[in-house]
Amino acid sequence: MAAYVLTQAGARCLMLEAGGDFDSARDSKWLEWQYDVPYHGGGDENKFDYFLAAVGGWQVPGEPYLTAPGEQFMWFRSRMLGGRTNSWGRISLRNGPYDFQPYSRDGKGFDWPIRYEELAPYYTYTERLIGVFGSPAGIENLPDGDFLPPPDPRCYELLVQQACGKLHIPCIPSRLAILTRAHRGRPACHYVSQCGRSCRLGSNFTSPVVLLNPARLTGKLEIRLNAMAREVLTGADGRAHGVAYIDKSSRREVRVRGKVVVLAASSCETARLLLNSRSPRHPNGLANSSGLVGRYLMDTVMSDVTGYFPALRNLPPHNEDGVGGMHLYMPWWNYGSERKTLPFSRGYHIEFYGGRAGMPMPGILSGTEELTGGGYGPAFKQACREVYGSFVSFAGRGEMIPNAASYCELDPQALDEWGIPVLRFHFQWGEEELQMAQHMQTTFQQIVEAGGGRVVASAGADRQWGISVGGQGIHEVGGARMGSDPKTSVLNSYCQAWDCKNLFISDGAPFVSLADKNPTLTIMALAWRTAENVVRLARQGSV
Amino acid sequence: MKSGSAKTALRFERRDLLKIAAGMPVAAALASAPYAAGAATFQAFSPGAPGDATRPYPRILNAQEWQTLKILADWIVPADSVTGNASEAGVPEFIDDWLGLKGGFLLDQIRGGLAWLDQKCRRVYGEAFAHCSRARQRQMLDRIAYPAKAAPADAAGVAFFNRLRDLVVSGFYTSRMGMRDLPYLGNEPQAGWTGCPPAVIARLGLKKSSRS
Repeated sequence: MAAYVLTQAGARCLMLEAGGDFDSARDSKWLEWQYDVPYHGGGDENKFDYFLAAVGGWQVPGEPYLTAPGEQFMWFRSRMLGGRTNSWGRISLRNGPYDFQPYSRDGKGFDWPIRYEELAPYYTYTERLIGVFGSPAGIENLPDGDFLPPPDPRCYELLVQQACGKLHIPCIPSRLAILTRAHRGRPACHYVSQCGRSCRLGSNFTSPVVLLNPARLTGKLEIRLNAMAREVLTGADGRAHGVAYIDKSSRREVRVRGKVVVLAASSCETARLLLNSRSPRHPNGLANSSGLVGRYLMDTVMSDVTGYFPALRNLPPHNEDGVGGMHLYMPWWNYGSERKTLPFSRGYHIEFYGGRAGMPMPGILSGTEELTGGGYGPAFKQACREVYGSFVSFAGRGEMIPNAASYCELDPQALDEWGIPVLRFHFQWGEEELQMAQHMQTTFQQIVEAGGGRVVASAGADRQWGISVGGQGIHEVGGARMGSDPKTSVLNSYCQAWDCKNLFISDGAPFVSLADKNPTLTIMALAWRTAENVVRLARQGSV
Repeated sequence: MKSGSAKTALRFERRDLLKIAAGMPVAAALASAPYAAGAATFQAFSPGAPGDATRPYPRILNAQEWQTLKILADWIVPADSVTGNASEAGVPEFIDDWLGLKGGFLLDQIRGGLAWLDQKCRRVYGEAFAHCSRARQRQMLDRIAYPAKAAPADAAGVAFFNRLRDLVVSGFYTSRMGMRDLPYLGNEPQAGWTGCPPAVIARLGLKKSSRS
């Protein structure tokens, strides 16, 4: 996003990409059938499935990370142009006014140095640029955006919406960065439910299609691929002078200079770069006089339940693919008096997936014996057809309160294959997150039952209510938080480093809190605001 | 590949893939962490192509196991008036590849289960499963195919058959034939999205979308 805004403003930009080229028009696995590929497309524990447009995954060959003994953290990286924007879930929710002032509301965590109103215009610019479908809902702390029309719900979504109605849980059109009509030269969705593969037609948001291609057309953007940034170079004056990177093809270090350095390497990779940028002026790493680089790492609290709905059994066959994601979802609903009775302070939203949406993949109808009583033969085959499409999974996505025990730091010894020190993660959920996961389990069970179904997969206290592993939400943010005091933050309210005024951060690292809203839209809006400020400062001659 | 404890490996087979199958986007599919218990030992693994495409099957199982697997797969998913059987859909080949990919605990359980079945058949009928009559094969399967009715002494056979049934279903319902059988009508670009068909809405007794 920063490259887009900066080049549109006429600035010359050099962008370093640690991975290789990716062009969804050429490289997407759009419309490929699972039966035509190895293992019918399944079995890839590193990146979910064969089709996903991710080069990388939980592990990247040659680029390890460590986890502190006894702790767990998972870090998903995509080494490719556009990174994880090629495969993301496209869920595009605005943070609400409460989400910028969490400490003021409940005394936990920290407040952002900006209010919703300051970011609101940038949400609008971003939505208009990328194209987000949705529907104005007027829900508390869920600002409506500038939406394209939402797609009609799928059958199972209508059933769940009705069940939610009985429980007074709102179930509204979701908000995804997928085009339901042609938008700014990109065609409308073709409804094959394959956004994760990236879209050959560019009908969903990826940064190469929507941001980098226009940026390149300005003639102002140069992209260097396979350029693994090692450190930000600083001078005796403490200012950033450029970046040293390893050219992966020659394995040689290359130094590039710039008037301004903008980091958008993904939150943890950005923290790593800062910590690796040590100099006499910045002995603990760049922008780290507060000691807060890498600190207060956050991820989304996740827990889920799968239900079997007899009403969906044996329905007339129909194509339920739709967009690559949910058409409806449930935003957090307990802002009223219920909030005071809950054993946790923040909220969560509910995503749900199932029915006949999406290409069947290995694992389909696993564990049917619990439903059918087992068996084999013609009756069993018929039972498979009948239960196909009658499962729906509910996935909670909740807000974690940042804590001091969750952070990343440089391991003193370990290196990646490029010779760059690697990260070691520490991560702990707090008691409130566990309480939230329990509430998710209970609520999803109620929804399943209200829809006439029964739970077939859930988690109890013995499995910590199914709470995810830190990082597993692939929403890891924080590590270079914004603030209004240089002693308690890394960046000012424009994501400009307190310690180095020509250094800016435009990924998820500046996040002060992580609302239940998926972070990407906020990352982009914030990046837009940051880049616009860079332009303003440069024109004033003050960077 | 190492996938944590045996329990973790099983949960992956059972629960997680069920959701990936349902078209979930990335983060959602992993929500119920198969790794929650075993993340410390989790090591990433990316499958390559399943070996030399010119090599004949079986590539992982031995000839005896292969013969038994094919017979069992066709007992589980036989031909009927809609589609053909598991063998015709290439399910044994899928399973042989899958076992080669996963190896470890799953491979042991399937191999062990095939051996268990043969030993049981030799004890009861005097010959391996593949050589038993269709009637005897059916009799043996009836002992292990219905978990609620099975004898406790057959628990290992029941667990094996559950696992094998899942593999057969996975292979069949991701095959070209399986797409026709379900039927899966997607992966077909649409000019527009028309929502849930009226016939289904009526069947479910629902109203068309309430949009807010």
